[in-house]
Amino acid sequence: MKKPIIAIAGLTACSGCQLTLLNCEEELPEIAQRFIIDYFPLGLTERLITGPIDVAIVEGAVSTPSDLEILMKLRNSSHSLVALGTCALWGGIAAMKNQESRKDLAETVYGSAADGLKTFNPQPLHRFVKIDFAITGCPPETGELLATLAALLRGTFPVFPHYPVCSECRSRENLCLLIERNEMCLGPLIQAGCNARCPAVGIGCEGCRGPVTEANVAAETELLLKKGFPMDEIVSRMQRFYPEWDYEQRS
Amino acid sequence: MSSVLEISPLTRVEGHGRIEVHFAGTKVETVSLSLYESPRFFEALLKGKSYAEVPEIICRVCSLCSTVHRICSLHAIERAMDIQVSEQVRLYRELILYGGHIQSHALHLFCLVLPDCFNVAGLAGLADKAPQELQRWLRIKSAGNLIQETVGGRTIHPVTLIPGGMGKPVAREGLLKLKEALQRVLPETHQAYELFRPFLPNGDKLATPRYLSVRPEGASPFLGDNLTMGNGETIPADSYMNLLCERMSGTGNAKTILVKNQPATVGALARLNLGMPLTPMAAAAFEESRMLLTDADIRANNLAQAVELILTVERSLDIIEILLKADFTREEPARIVPKKGRGSTAVEAPRGLLIHSYSFDGRGICRGADIITPTVINQAAMERDLLALATHMEGADDEALTDALERLVRAYDPCISCAVHVLKI
Repeated sequence: MKKPIIAIAGLTACSGCQLTLLNCEEELPEIAQRFIIDYFPLGLTERLITGPIDVAIVEGAVSTPSDLEILMKLRNSSHSLVALGTCALWGGIAAMKNQESRKDLAETVYGSAADGLKTFNPQPLHRFVKIDFAITGCPPETGELLATLAALLRGTFPVFPHYPVCSECRSRENLCLLIERNEMCLGPLIQAGCNARCPAVGIGCEGCRGPVTEANVAAETELLLKKGFPMDEIVSRMQRFYPEWDYEQRS
Repeated sequence: MSSVLEISPLTRVEGHGRIEVHFAGTKVETVSLSLYESPRFFEALLKGKSYAEVPEIICRVCSLCSTVHRICSLHAIERAMDIQVSEQVRLYRELILYGGHIQSHALHLFCLVLPDCFNVAGLAGLADKAPQELQRWLRIKSAGNLIQETVGGRTIHPVTLIPGGMGKPVAREGLLKLKEALQRVLPETHQAYELFRPFLPNGDKLATPRYLSVRPEGASPFLGDNLTMGNGETIPADSYMNLLCERMSGTGNAKTILVKNQPATVGALARLNLGMPLTPMAAAAFEESRMLLTDADIRANNLAQAVELILTVERSLDIIEILLKADFTREEPARIVPKKGRGSTAVEAPRGLLIHSYSFDGRGICRGADIITPTVINQAAMERDLLALATHMEGADDEALTDALERLVRAYDPCISCAVHVLKI
């Protein structure tokens, strides 16, 4: 079987999705053998994207001309493009204040030097190019990344669950933080696949995997309001990883 | 005739960086290091957020050091709100801090630096030429990650660490598993130290670093309320602004920092030179390599990190022993009544001194944030050393110069994601 040629790159992000790959300690030697890694600046001395590439795996949102240039180069030289992680798929943490003025945010941090920054609102990859597959999560789960790589060896993509974190949380028999402890848990709205990691250790779901399909956003918002959380707190929490919720949506 | 050698992007470092060497004929005129990471404006993102959200947001600044960012922010928040945490919480935080150092140093030494030692490009080359070393790396790194996962609930961006307390403590069986994994890799950390010992550069020495670190208090080498320098001077961490002066770099999205108008160096080598407390095996390794590590330039930082791998595994085992004896049960986090105030604290991150400073209003809403990262502190020294090395190497071909400059940058172990977020309030 021909070894798939892959490229791994990071745009506006924390490198955590790429680190997730390097955290697959047991599998890494085999990955290095079964794939040809053509471009991966974090782990490889190769500065040029030359292609042709079978699969480009891209972490991060797009927020600068240079991000866009790398993304375009990768799209143009790759057969498939995979959005890796919440920033690449939903905008992520850096996009949480996309409703505010980018210029004001820049000035808060850099003062008058902000003028020289070339930056625009962080956006997910699909606003600019076609993506063929996505792995969500901040950080992504190693299991989902490995399942994707394994599927690539067979020339396909895996199928991931399309149900909310609550489904996994209930099957682990965790205490329900939302109903039983009145905590702000976003589990009902968020894509499963993490096996409800946070509620399992007593911490409410912070929404790092982004919206599940058919999320009943309005019902969750009403429930949280009824429990006494102010709307601005709810919005602040929900927008942490995805700024574009439709608060009226009833699936 | 002037010309420019551009090295972009820097490879095998975290984040996006670029070096430009400007020549006049064959003479090196200037060397610039740009950290052109896409700006995410973290300090601006935090403004207006509740104190409870701050640690969960700020740990996303960087994945390699998410744990230490989270801990430093918790300390600063608790300082501002006047909260004391329990012994249990203190111990678990210390343990996961070591886990972060183990995984970060292991990643840097073996994935980013080791390919240079074997003259290969990356992982595939290591799998081919140094399979044993690669396996050893993976075992050490996975032990560090097991601490993160077991104590923090997740390997990257740990979830259990919250203001005033923590989520569920680790069950006895989890602690025993950790102990077993760490005991297994302890001898391997020593082998890692021996592996990196011979790879020190010979030839012209670069500037002797001016070190800066947290002054450790108690047995923990990475925690304390004061900062200390090579000249013996110490200042309280919360008056860091009197020590560090900031200038906006002309070439990237990061600001550079001078300490008393001089470039300062932070990180493992700084900590060892400023007398952090060591555990028995780490102390023996340091003693054996004292000359290599004390009369050195930054290129000894890789070896210093290897000594710290031993140290952090030994310290983790000590803490696990204490936790096993104490047999803690789950406790409620300290009750926090938000109050107006400011908290500034310092912690030693894998790459060196890290400072978080926040101010809150009476409702506990963040009104200002200032994050000073080790890479930002090191940048001025990196630029100084790059210029010196490029000048020493005048006449060398582009490939040799590129290779040497990249290796020098790697010795500093920059973390560029973190480095672009600095604000003076």
